[in-house]
Amino acid sequence: MTLRRAALLVARREFGERIRQRSFQLSTAATILVVAAVALAAGLLGDDTAERYTVGAHDREAIAIAEAAGTAAGAFDVRLELRRYASAEQARAAVAAERVDAAIVDGAIVARARPPGDLEQALQAAARDVRAATALRAEGLSSAEARRALAPPPLAVRALDGADEDERRGVAFAASLLLYLQLIVFGLAVATGVVEEKASRVVEVLLAAVPPRALLAGKIAGIGLLGLGQLGLAAVVGLAVASASGAIDVDGAHADVLAVVLAWFLLGYLLWSAIYAIAGVIVSRQEDLQASSTPVTVVLVACYLVAFPALDAPGSPLAVVASLVPLSSPIVMPVRVAVGEPGAAEIAASLGLLALAIAALVPLAARIYEGGVLRMGKPLRVREALRVGRAG
Amino acid sequence: MLELRDVSRRYGQTIALDGLSLAVPEREVVGFVGPNGAGKTTAMRVVMGVLEPDAGEVHWRGEPATRAARATFGYMPEERGLYPKMRVDRQLRYLASLHDHDSRAAEAAAARWIERLGLGERAQQRVEELSLGNQQRVQLAAALVHDPPVLVLDEPFSGLDPIGADVMAEVLHERARAGAAVIFSSHQLDLVERLCDRVAIVDGGRIVAAGRVEELRAERSRPRLRVAVDGAATGWTDELDGVDLVERDEHGVLLELRDGADDQQVLDSARRAGRVRLFARARPSLAELFREVVER
Repeated sequence: MTLRRAALLVARREFGERIRQRSFQLSTAATILVVAAVALAAGLLGDDTAERYTVGAHDREAIAIAEAAGTAAGAFDVRLELRRYASAEQARAAVAAERVDAAIVDGAIVARARPPGDLEQALQAAARDVRAATALRAEGLSSAEARRALAPPPLAVRALDGADEDERRGVAFAASLLLYLQLIVFGLAVATGVVEEKASRVVEVLLAAVPPRALLAGKIAGIGLLGLGQLGLAAVVGLAVASASGAIDVDGAHADVLAVVLAWFLLGYLLWSAIYAIAGVIVSRQEDLQASSTPVTVVLVACYLVAFPALDAPGSPLAVVASLVPLSSPIVMPVRVAVGEPGAAEIAASLGLLALAIAALVPLAARIYEGGVLRMGKPLRVREALRVGRAG
Repeated sequence: MLELRDVSRRYGQTIALDGLSLAVPEREVVGFVGPNGAGKTTAMRVVMGVLEPDAGEVHWRGEPATRAARATFGYMPEERGLYPKMRVDRQLRYLASLHDHDSRAAEAAAARWIERLGLGERAQQRVEELSLGNQQRVQLAAALVHDPPVLVLDEPFSGLDPIGADVMAEVLHERARAGAAVIFSSHQLDLVERLCDRVAIVDGGRIVAAGRVEELRAERSRPRLRVAVDGAATGWTDELDGVDLVERDEHGVLLELRDGADDQQVLDSARRAGRVRLFARARPSLAELFREVVER
């Protein structure tokens, strides 16, 4: 059997067994729920600033004005609801009884006190449009011509600081958090899986059939695929909910960020899972894994903490360096990309360095794995495992 | 034929194997016995390629055993190993596929061994939910699931109840009849004697005796006699020439004949001493042979 086929079989088992685990299903559901809830909350909080008003009307012009105001209400950050009444008296009575906030009666805005400024602005603007259209049609323009005359293309808005900066920061923050969580959860899954096979001694049965490299490669691939799938799902659901709730407008830029996040997860996972595999293979019992994996996790947490300053100051020296250094670059670089900071050269340099680090570390991890996978008992020194791996 | 040729292996300062040579013919069951720490497990790991020897080679059918050849062997390690949280049927299918069975063949093989070893009702349970005896059966199925031409089993009988042991013995014989070379280690020497075509006794990393049990008995230099005489005085054996008293119990005496001693003279003396109820060549048990070669 080829190494590739053996690794594929191992990967298939990792994927198949883990996806059936209730704990994995629950954690996936929880991740997606949290992401969806955050995206939804962001959308709802944004929308709650819009005031709601009800407006009464009875004649044709009043109804046309109220309808136009309702359509354009978003521009004034208000929402309007139209109520029709059979007569001017009824409309006035509805205002008096506070069943509506205002009514348009005989060409005037009627309210119990002075109507709220935003409501009045919305109604006045609508009245201008409706009356102008009536006047233009009276001058002989068709209604289509009148509409065109009244709705010239609006001025484009170009914000020098980037109008959607908050949005980008939100996406970048979510991306770094997700990346960090995925790296830590699936990196630890690799370490735990390696120890599980050692502790249960099944590894000896497996190694009688397939080489250690196939075992390690398959494990990393199977678990990584699961992590990639979960991350992709969470990201897509998050963007969809955020877009549906109005928190962000999904466009090409977000798809780019998504692709960047997934690509960096893949590379970052390769690097970190190899490190976690080393932490796993030097011990023989789950109890010892805590001690060997904690230093790895501490470094990973530190990399995540560097991502916060990078959010605020994506161009700072710390952020730039952290986005180039292979250990932290998988978390920090996507943040800077989401905020729109780095140029293509910087991204290429970061990717190149990361690829180099992977090319150097993965064979090293494989050798340590070979040296340590059958060593039972007290935790091994990495150097010792390396020596055995080289000899074996 | 599976052969270990002059295999040596150290762990640091400890010598585990010291030029060990051993042959396991096809169609035969070889019992691998020896005191704790004699090197049995190390030798089996070397056969499986799980451990690299410092010197020496493993040959299969006359050629150095390649990784691909070894991947066809069936193995039951000393430390039992299965995925505790994986279902029995999936686990066996997985192991069969690692041994190059396509998915249909893997499924059929797993089903066959689940049936054969009486695990039918447990097939969809996770291994950790099974009793130790049943886990042992799954472990055996894991070693057999790909129809190996060589079976290497480290202590397969430990932890089995008598029924489980019978099933295990039956299966080992069945595989040998089907053409497999079977070697297993055990401390239950009566069982090894009953079950094996050949025995290899290892001590200090070397084979100290090997062959058919009958051959090993024949190699013993001195024949022994078990004699029971009713009404004889306790000291009747003292007058015998060229005969040593090995032991005396309520059933009689065990005598060992030195070179040239005549068993017929012993019989005559016994008849003079009283009424001879038993006079027989004592066939040493494997356990006795074992003690003899290992203590030497």
